[in-house]
Amino acid sequence: MQASRARLFKEYKEVQREKTADPDITLVCDDTNIFKWTALIKGPSETPYDGGVFQLAFAVPEQYPLQPPQVRFLTKIFHPNVHFKTGEICLDILKNAWSPAWTLQSVCRAIIALMAHPEPDSPLNCDSGNLLRSGDVRGFNSMAKMYTRLAAMPKKG
Amino acid sequence: MEQEEAMKDDEEGGSPCIPNLNPNPCPICLGLLSQDSYLDQCFHTFCYKCIVRWTQVVSSRSSSLRQSSSVKCPLCKTENFSIIYGYDGITFQQHFINQNNGNSTFFSKDHKYRLQCYYTEPESGLLSDAFKVERYWKLHKYLQPNSWLEKWLKRELQALLQEEDVEIIMHHILGVIHSFSRSYHLKGKTHPLHRTQEEFKVLVADAAMPFLTARTKRFVDEVELFLASGLTVEAFDKAYRRCLGWKKSEETSEDNERTSTECEPIAPCLYFIDDDSDEVDWTEDKLA
Repeated sequence: MQASRARLFKEYKEVQREKTADPDITLVCDDTNIFKWTALIKGPSETPYDGGVFQLAFAVPEQYPLQPPQVRFLTKIFHPNVHFKTGEICLDILKNAWSPAWTLQSVCRAIIALMAHPEPDSPLNCDSGNLLRSGDVRGFNSMAKMYTRLAAMPKKG
Repeated sequence: MEQEEAMKDDEEGGSPCIPNLNPNPCPICLGLLSQDSYLDQCFHTFCYKCIVRWTQVVSSRSSSLRQSSSVKCPLCKTENFSIIYGYDGITFQQHFINQNNGNSTFFSKDHKYRLQCYYTEPESGLLSDAFKVERYWKLHKYLQPNSWLEKWLKRELQALLQEEDVEIIMHHILGVIHSFSRSYHLKGKTHPLHRTQEEFKVLVADAAMPFLTARTKRFVDEVELFLASGLTVEAFDKAYRRCLGWKKSEETSEDNERTSTECEPIAPCLYFIDDDSDEVDWTEDKLA
């Protein structure tokens, strides 16, 4: 408990210090609970998520960093490795391949990389996975783009 | 406590003139390194507590019956077999993955004692005199089979390799020793003494080298000692300990007096201190 608190405090400090280091990620800690964080990440360019801003929710376990944080999308996203309803993310480093050398910041970076490189062979969103697996990249892109516009972009006018 | 430290750290780190006081933090706690430890293959650095805790998490997660004796480095994923810590410029300590937290069943106290023997360097001739190695060759005792050799070899290899299944290597070395004494039956006793001894050592060393590498030479000497002693494994251990001045508590004080005048106790230059209970036993052994 104390160890995870101390480590999260260090990460908080680092985030404050390096605020401008990565313009694609904004990590914010809950005012009252250091185990709850939210992040805003920009959809990577040259992907159907470009132009969207996606919100992530972090729940950090007390055994952190020996256990990975639980991360899910709060913003709806059409992606083979993200559950369409719950926002759950299928990413190895958040499960078996977790290492305590990861930080919340680097997890965000890994999620951005996952957005740019989906893994349709282990889908949480089967519709999305099937489009990619059948080679319908155009269909996938237009669906993903539509949901980005609907859910991840500020409403115009 | 840790949080207080973190706070203090923050105040220092927050001052504008010293932007980063801690350029090389432990990757696990992100704090200052405490008790620097290195993984034995990739040499990445962690706090001792942090990396030990991580190896425990990894091993508790694995469901297989035989736990892995390696851990992947959290930074580079290299497989590592031990944690090196307590380095003071000359000596260091080593914590083997899953060999020390009571998980291994085969690695007994006797194995540990034998491994410790390999980290001591007794005065030259001390052991070979005590076990009458010269006489062994002079009287051609090597022609007689030793029925305890198999048991002793197995334990020796297990201790050195920290591996339970040493069956193949043991039979390989045993075969070499047997064929050696068989071939000398035929040659008769005319062969010059020192040549016989030398040939024996070269043969055993060749057989053991691929597995024991740098420890081969000492291993061959120990094989010779054991064979020359003509003792059972237990009796050999007892005699060996007495010779080095490592005494068992059950020995009488009379014994102690006699041996302490005969040979100076030799402290091992490197301990494998893994858990406290064994450490206590060990000191008891030495003090008794």
